[in-house]
Formats: sequence, C-alpha cells, structure tokens
Amino acid sequence: MTEIFGVPTQALFGQLLLGLINGSFYALLSLGLAVIFGMLNIINFTHGAQYMMGAFGAYLVGQYFGIGYWPSLIVAPLLVGLTGVIIERTMLKRLYHLDHLYGLLFTFGVALIIQGYFRYYYGSSGLPYPIPPSLAGGTRLTLFDQPIMFLPWYRAWVIFFSLAICITTWYLIERTSLGAKLRAATENPTIVRTFGVNVPLLITLTYGAGVGLAGLAGVLAAPIYQVSPLMGADLINVVFAVVVIGGMGSILGSVVTGFVLGLIEGLTKVFYPEASTTVVFVIMAIVLLVRPAGLFGKAATTTTGVESTSVGSGLDGGRVLNVVMAAMAVVLMAAPFVVYPQFLMKALCIAMFALSVNLLLGYAGLLSFGHAMFLGSAGYVSAHAAKVWGLTPELAILAGTATAAAMGVVVGAIAIRRQGIYFAMTTLAFAQMVYFLALQVPFTHGEDGIQAVPRGKMFGFIDLNNQLSMYYVVLAIFMFALLMVHRIIHSPFGEVLKSIRENEARAISLGYKTDRYKLMAFVLSTTICGLGGATKAIVFQLASLTDVTSGTSGEAVLMTLVGGLGTLLGPIVGAFVITGMETYLAEWGQWVTVIQGVVFVVCVMAFRRGLVGEIAYRTGKPL
Amino acid sequence: MYNKPTWVSVMAEIRTSATPGAPLLSVKNLQSWYGESHILHGVNLEVRQGEVVTLLGRNGAGKTTTLKSIMGVVRKRQGSITKGGTETIGLPSERIAKLGIALCPEERAIFSSLTVRENLMLPPKLRDGGMSVDEIFSLFPNLKERIGTSQGTKLSGGEQQMLAIGRILRTGADLLLLDEPTEGLAPVIIQQIGHTIRKLKERGLTILLVEQNFRFASTVADRFYVMDHGVIVDGFKAADLEANMPKLHEYLGV
Repeated sequence: MTEIFGVPTQALFGQLLLGLINGSFYALLSLGLAVIFGMLNIINFTHGAQYMMGAFGAYLVGQYFGIGYWPSLIVAPLLVGLTGVIIERTMLKRLYHLDHLYGLLFTFGVALIIQGYFRYYYGSSGLPYPIPPSLAGGTRLTLFDQPIMFLPWYRAWVIFFSLAICITTWYLIERTSLGAKLRAATENPTIVRTFGVNVPLLITLTYGAGVGLAGLAGVLAAPIYQVSPLMGADLINVVFAVVVIGGMGSILGSVVTGFVLGLIEGLTKVFYPEASTTVVFVIMAIVLLVRPAGLFGKAATTTTGVESTSVGSGLDGGRVLNVVMAAMAVVLMAAPFVVYPQFLMKALCIAMFALSVNLLLGYAGLLSFGHAMFLGSAGYVSAHAAKVWGLTPELAILAGTATAAAMGVVVGAIAIRRQGIYFAMTTLAFAQMVYFLALQVPFTHGEDGIQAVPRGKMFGFIDLNNQLSMYYVVLAIFMFALLMVHRIIHSPFGEVLKSIRENEARAISLGYKTDRYKLMAFVLSTTICGLGGATKAIVFQLASLTDVTSGTSGEAVLMTLVGGLGTLLGPIVGAFVITGMETYLAEWGQWVTVIQGVVFVVCVMAFRRGLVGEIAYRTGKPL
Repeated sequence: MYNKPTWVSVMAEIRTSATPGAPLLSVKNLQSWYGESHILHGVNLEVRQGEVVTLLGRNGAGKTTTLKSIMGVVRKRQGSITKGGTETIGLPSERIAKLGIALCPEERAIFSSLTVRENLMLPPKLRDGGMSVDEIFSLFPNLKERIGTSQGTKLSGGEQQMLAIGRILRTGADLLLLDEPTEGLAPVIIQQIGHTIRKLKERGLTILLVEQNFRFASTVADRFYVMDHGVIVDGFKAADLEANMPKLHEYLGV
C-alpha cells in the first residue's frame, strides 16, 4: 500500500473527500448567509433550521406524496424559500428601521421555534433518506494503477452540484444587471427605489432565495447525514465561523472559505484527529487577529444603537431605584421560606449572567452572543478547583471568576475591534471554540461534566451543605454583583459607555479612547458573568456542557430583552421569568424551547422595552 | 423694504405670470416630516410642461425636502402632489418613478460597488422616451470615455454628476428633479451642465431645479420660486429677475 507522509493514500484521500463534502455544505450555507447579509444586513440565525427544513421537506414530500429525490431537489427548496418569504413579509420587514441586532435576535427566536417544533414531532433521532438509485454505487479511482480511493457517485454529485450552485450565484450577483440592482440596493436602497426598482420586493426575494439555498443544502445532505431536527444546529455553528473568516457578506469569500476550511478539517482528521473540530475556530482566531474584517471582507464600520430606556435621571429617580433595590433584597431574604431555595439560587446565579450581558448590550451597545463561554468556563474551573485541588469554596469561586476575567481580556481585545453584528459573530464563534474545547479536554469530562463538586465550608465555618446557608451566601454574592453593576453604570465611566453606545464616532472625537472603555466594560462584564458561573457550579455541585452552549448565551440575551434592555433590574426580572418557565414548564419538554422562541419573537416585534423597561418608561423613573 | 407677500398673493401672481399650458406637476399645501420634525409647512408650486423652474432659498429652507417629498423619498407627507393629473401622495418612490419623475440627488449617489457601466445601466427603462446609452453619450461625451472604469466612485466630481444625470434619463422620465447639480464643481464643468440642461429642455423635458447658485440658475430657468422656513414665499419669471434682485438678496442673505 502506498503512503504519503506516513498515511495510507486511501485514508488520506478518503478524508479529503469527506472534507470536500463538508466544505460543500459550509460553502452553500455560508453563501446563503452572505446573500442575506449583503441585502438585509441581518445574520440569519434561522439558517441552520431552514437547512434542516430542507432535509425534512425532501423526506416528507417523499413520505406523503411519493416525490423522489430529483423533484425534491426543486420542490423542497422552493417550499423552504416560501416560508422565508412569509417570515420576511409578515415580520422581519418591520425590523429594518431598527438596529440590525434586533434582526439577529428575531431570527434566533424563529430558529428556536422551528427546532423545538420539529424535535417535538420527530424526536432527536435521525430518519433515513435513501440515495437516489441513479447515483447509487461509485467508482474506484486509480492513479498510475495505484488505487487511491473509492468515490461514491452521490458524493461526487454533491461536490459538483454545490460548486455549480456557488458559481451560478456568484455570477448572478457580480455579473448580471439583476446583481447590479442588488448590489446598488445594498449600498443605497432609497435611490435605487427612485429608479423605479421595487427594492422591498427585491429584499423579500433575496431572503427567500438565501433561505432556499439553505433548503437546497438540506436536500443534498439528506442522503449523506440522517434527517434529524438538530442536523442544522450542529452544522451552523461551524458555518458562522466560516462566515467570520471569509468576511461577512462576501460571496466569493464565503464560497472559497467554505471549501478550503472543509479540506483543512479533512486534513486535520488525518494528521491530528483530536483537533479536527476546533481547527476551524483556531483559524478564525488567527484570521481575526490579523484581519478583523475577515479574509475577503471590507473593513466597514457600522454604528450601532440599541433602543434603550434611558428615561429621567437625577436624584429623585435614583432614590426610587434605591428603594426598589432595598425592597428586592428584603423580599429575597424572606423568599427561601416560601419558594424552593434551589430554584431561587439558580435564578440568582443566572441573573448575574443576565446582568453581565445587559451591562454590555444595554449600556455599551455590544451584543455578546457568546457569554456562555465565560459562565461555563468559570463553572468548570471553580468545580475543578473545589473538587480536584480541594480549595475552599470562596477560593474556588474566586478562581472561576478570575478565569472568566482573563478570558474576557483575550476575547474582548479581539472582539471589540469590530462593531454591531460583527462583534456578535466574533463572540459567538469564540464561544463555539470554547464549547468544542470543553467537549474534548480531559478535565471537563466531556458530556458528563464535573460532578459531585463538594460545597465545603465558606471561610472555614459556614457550612454550605446547609441549604439556607448556601442560599444566603448566593444572595450576598448576587447583591454584591448587582451593586457593582449599579456602581459601574452610574459612574462617569458608565456615562462614557452610554455615549459610545449612542454615537461612538462622537465619543472618539471628544477624545475618549473608546476601545479602552469597551474592553474595560467587556472584562467587567465577563468577571460578573464568571462570578455567576462559578457560584452556580458550587451550588449545584456540577459544571456541565450546557453552560457553555450557544443556547445558554441566547437565553441570557432573551432574559435581558424580556426584562428590559438598559435597565438595571430588567435582567433580574428576566432571569426569574425565564428560569421559572424552564423549571415549572419542564414537563412540557420541547414546547419550552418553542415557547422561548415565541417570547423572543414577541419581545423583538412588539415589546422591545421589556417588563421593567415598560414600567420605567411609564413612570419616568430609571429602574 | 417690501411687503412680505402671503402665499395667496404669491399664488395669484404665479397664476397670472406663468406661461399658459397644462401644469405637469402641481404641489398643493405639501407638508413633510423627518421623523418628528416638521419640515415643510404647506408648499404650493406648479411646473408646466417644458419649463425649467428653479427653487431658490437659504440652507435649510426645505428645497431638498421638497424634491424628496415629490419623489416619495420622504415618506411622511400630506397635501397633494399631482403629476400629469395623477395623485402621488402616499405612493412609494418606485411607483412615482413609473409616472415619469426622476430625481438626481444632491449627493449624486454613485454606487461604489458598481462599475461605471453598471451605474449607467442601473435604472431600467420604465416608459417610452427612455434614452439609449448612445443618446446619453451624445449628451455627455465625457462619459463615453470613462465607461470602462471599474468603480463608479473613481470618476471625478464633474463626471460623477454627469453620470448621475445621465443615468436617470434611461427611465424615460419627463420631469427631472435636479438637486444642486453644480455644487462643488469647476466653472467650466458648470457651463457644461448648463449646456446639457438647455439641451434637455429642447428635447421637451420639464425640469425642477434646486440651486444655491442663482447666477447659474438664471442662465437656464424660466421661472423662480423662493423658499423659506418650509414654504414658498415668492415667485417670479426669469425676465423679472433684475427687478426682484433686492428682494432676493434679502431672502437669500447674499
């Protein structure tokens, strides 16, 4: 048998083929994302779900109407595209005049609804979809009479067809008059409309087409991977990294990066299999360091300004807030005698998490979509410190918090170089990297997590195994975090942050080094987040993978949104509402995800002030 | 000093002074808003078939907003705007374009992600009379030489302005709204643009022009309107320009 670099040729080429197949899907999906981003300026978080819908579409039309693979290749993307058109026309369209981050949150909510719904009906296990008979079998490739590899026809078809679609789409956008209209509308939709071009229709069709591409990728994937509700969620996280590497909105960038990264992944599987799932994210980190705009991206800066409730200020309002905070502390002190303390402690830890997200989003206008990486990492470190190193709980929590702060310095320094959606994508991609690391490094124990963490004795004399003692320690930590956030946002530093949120260019022109302020805010936020995560690990005696998933990051944003962006107390209320929903609706299973998605969508569409924000707005008092 | 005219007297004067012929564009009591701020407070004006009419006024008087409101770019508007008898208030820009109105915006809006050719070819032919590329080249010979340029924004200011005017001729609009086409351009280029506007007039196009430079405007316009604080405060024929100079100086503060 022939070998290259000590690897059998067959294995090498087999992995390369697999890499190309994965690359085809990366390219197709990031292409759809780029098309949508270019026109709508929205990162379509529903993309993974729509890819899954494409696969299910093919499966279902086959089951119910006996429609085979080839017609499905047209029918299913059209159906998926049609759902996209409906979503755009009825809802997404109403968000264009707002900050683009709302579009991102909206599509995230829709993804939750779709994925939850499909999981409820079809479970998590995969459904088989046969390879079309005309493409069954394959051929043995040889080079100089040496066998290289076995090439299944269907896989060859996937690579060929994806390439063809990518090239066609690129040509359509870069070289035709329709493409010129699209590009012009991206730059200045108002003027293009005065030329008699129906830009809103163009936007709708673009979204439909981008979503249709996701559906098409889904049909192509159906015979290779199994048809399952989570097939998109797993893939899309890598695709987001591809998009960040390629440069957001670049058609050529997404295609080239997609295929190349697929190949690199394949090669990594041959030579260093342990790193194959993280290699994409490592490349991403390097690219972001060298070229923050991505390999093919233009260095565009977008100003951002999230709608926030900055109403009334001054002593009177401040007094109301102090009274409310004091009342809340009293209620929380009495609460464990009425409500299950375990629930309260969870809500308080999660509330610190939400507070940290809101500190960035509500006051600095930075949407971190990867904050779970700080929550989870702090949890792992504090659990490990308490269990393996035998540290006392206060030191374990401190170690976890310090870890989150240190990570905040690194991630923040890279992420704050971009604004708005780019910032959100960068943080998300880093969180994915951390997720895959947590899955693989030994000390986190993969899927099991770190279990049976001892609670120990705080300062040597407070026995945390007593539920009430534990609760009051958590409450004290929480109040400390709350007062810290309160102090931050009402300090001159907080005022500068708000000015950066409103108008960064002006803040710079006034002489503020806004990057330094943003980094500082980022690190403060990750520190508070880490405090919550570290405490949570001690309370629940467990550090698990759930706490580093992108879903958890999304939840924190949801809590902030439900409670009220840019309000001090909003995230806390949001945390109690969402944690309460999860705890008390647990027996509803997948419907909880669907309900969360609906809450997301409703908040973004109609209730952007949130619960506390609404009260603050009506009473004119900052809360 | 003169007596500040009411809009009733202004309209009466315009009605008597304007050349006979059907009004192609008629704006009555137009009010417009940018978000919460009320910009136009009841603009009344008429442009007749084949006329070149110039809107004069200080910065912030509402000239550009008037053009944008006619084009539907400013969405929040009340009153009445008719083009050839068709009411356009409330219509989106793309529908207004199909009625034969085209806007050349002040900032020219040349697309940097499009080549010069793509920029020129961008507006589709919407009505009869839409010019072919050759016709546009005959009006703007410079553009022909630069058509191969890879990026629209690589052209000089004057070339960009010509491209911006040239491309809207493709739609076949018979009413052109030109917003300060001479702004920031060299005198020799301004002359060329004046020449082009006269040629367009000869072809029977109707033009509503916004200008700060009334010396230039007087070389092309048939009539003038003067705007201040979101209303039309005066109007006169080109022939009466000299007689109106003292008033104009006061309006424009020049």
